[in-house]
Amino acid sequence: MAINIVVLIKQIVDIDQLKTDPNSGEPLIQNIPLRIENLSKNSIEAAVQLKEKNGGKVTGIIFGTEKANSAMKEAYAMGVDEGFIITGYKGNNPAYTASIISNKIKELGNVDCVILGNQSADSYTGLLPGLLSTELNMNLLGNAVSISEEGGRFKIKRVLDEKDEIISAEKPCVISVTQEINQPRLPPVLQIMAAGRKPINASAAGAGNFETPKIVSNIAPKSDRKRQLFEDMDKGVAEVAKAIRGEMK
Amino acid sequence: MKFLIFSEDGSNICGIATKLRDNGEVYGVTIEGEESKCLQYGLKEVYALKGRPMGDNCFKALNKIDLTNFDRIFISSSPLGRDIAGMIASSIRSIVITEAFDFHLEGENIRTKRFFFGGKTILEEESSAKVITVQPGSFEPEKVDGNTPVTMADLEVSSITLDQEVEKERSGTDIESAPILVSIGRGIGKKEAIDQIMPLVEAVHGELSGSRPVCLDYKWLTEERQVGLSGKKVKPRVYIALGISGQIQHIAGMRGSKTVIAVNKDKDAPIFQECDYGIVGDLFQVVPKLVSALKQ
Repeated sequence: MAINIVVLIKQIVDIDQLKTDPNSGEPLIQNIPLRIENLSKNSIEAAVQLKEKNGGKVTGIIFGTEKANSAMKEAYAMGVDEGFIITGYKGNNPAYTASIISNKIKELGNVDCVILGNQSADSYTGLLPGLLSTELNMNLLGNAVSISEEGGRFKIKRVLDEKDEIISAEKPCVISVTQEINQPRLPPVLQIMAAGRKPINASAAGAGNFETPKIVSNIAPKSDRKRQLFEDMDKGVAEVAKAIRGEMK
Repeated sequence: MKFLIFSEDGSNICGIATKLRDNGEVYGVTIEGEESKCLQYGLKEVYALKGRPMGDNCFKALNKIDLTNFDRIFISSSPLGRDIAGMIASSIRSIVITEAFDFHLEGENIRTKRFFFGGKTILEEESSAKVITVQPGSFEPEKVDGNTPVTMADLEVSSITLDQEVEKERSGTDIESAPILVSIGRGIGKKEAIDQIMPLVEAVHGELSGSRPVCLDYKWLTEERQVGLSGKKVKPRVYIALGISGQIQHIAGMRGSKTVIAVNKDKDAPIFQECDYGIVGDLFQVVPKLVSALKQ
């Protein structure tokens, strides 16, 4: 069965490059480049693999800012067929994000599955899968490490603490994936060049009346570690053994 | 005030109940068979849900208990818990705070703390949030006298089918309560190298734990031993990091440790910024030396 797939893509500041001010602990967010969130790449890869196996179409949606074009082009190069950027993202507010994205998905119509990361690396809320499944009235298959489709049912494997499970549900489904699901492809140069010429649909998000929490502070936790570094192994071992013995008493 | 706590693991209800019970009536919801773990923590009533728990049917069962009756709903964070929290958020239209590791009730509001930017910062927020997911192990449970009554409730049949279940080998280890942890990262190179680490684990009477790649990608250790933002948050007296580079994701899981010791070949490894004692060198040379030093 040809599958009509929506993949949700998030663009975040490259948190690996993010530093915090050594004195105030404030995150130094200026001039940090943006990148596609890793789990979004896993989601794109999962969506494209599903299409390659079953036929169908992959539509990418980014709720972000004007700077999201580069992310969508990267998604195109990986195999996304059509892309929508909705601008107006103001920050982490899962309820607002879910309402904007679910409206877009309803507008697209006839969607068989929505694939997204289970918990994004920056804000780490993990709420979107549950929110979207309720707003779109779709079955939720959460934390997939593999996805397959057969006769209108989606089947996933998920890894829980105490067991692995294979679960399935009738379409349409919201499917969240974990980073272990695949190794996202590095697209060949020709595809990257073709992606650059492909049009991107853009629209602005409507204003939503959503309350947001008041931020009291957002700073790096203080680290009071001693940071005694030994390059002389024997000296280091003696010091460490002393410290461990002290704690074992 | 009236509070509701949900966790599919009864023991995760106890700490949150301890934190809340002086501020009002606390109710718990868990899965049948788990209720006995949370009956001595001052809860007014515990509901035990009978049936196979999935996101959709747990959400329906919670709605039957009537979520509008409660001032705040706390959900212990887990894959199931987060799915349910999203569903509740959509139905009751409230701010939801996720992955809180600390909170304080401030009149009508709640002040919460959670990690942000992948663990690089702590975000402290104040809001009217009605739904809060809480990281397991955030609050110390304390027993009180008396026994909580249990009400059984049926779970509807989920629209999600369980086609196959593979039980995992479990060592029954509990790295969260170990006083000393020896934690391994990619730097140990291969699974067989764990044999060379075990003498140290035994010498310090500790437990073995590991980073996300070691537990999830390479599966050298089972997931119950994973330390990190997405794994267990540990607070041992001594945390010994062997061949762990110190990605922020990992640091966020062991930041509460009293003393941190790191061994790494790379002098610039970020773990050395987060340790009390660091040894630059080959861990396979350091470990035997450390074992014999500890035996002296």
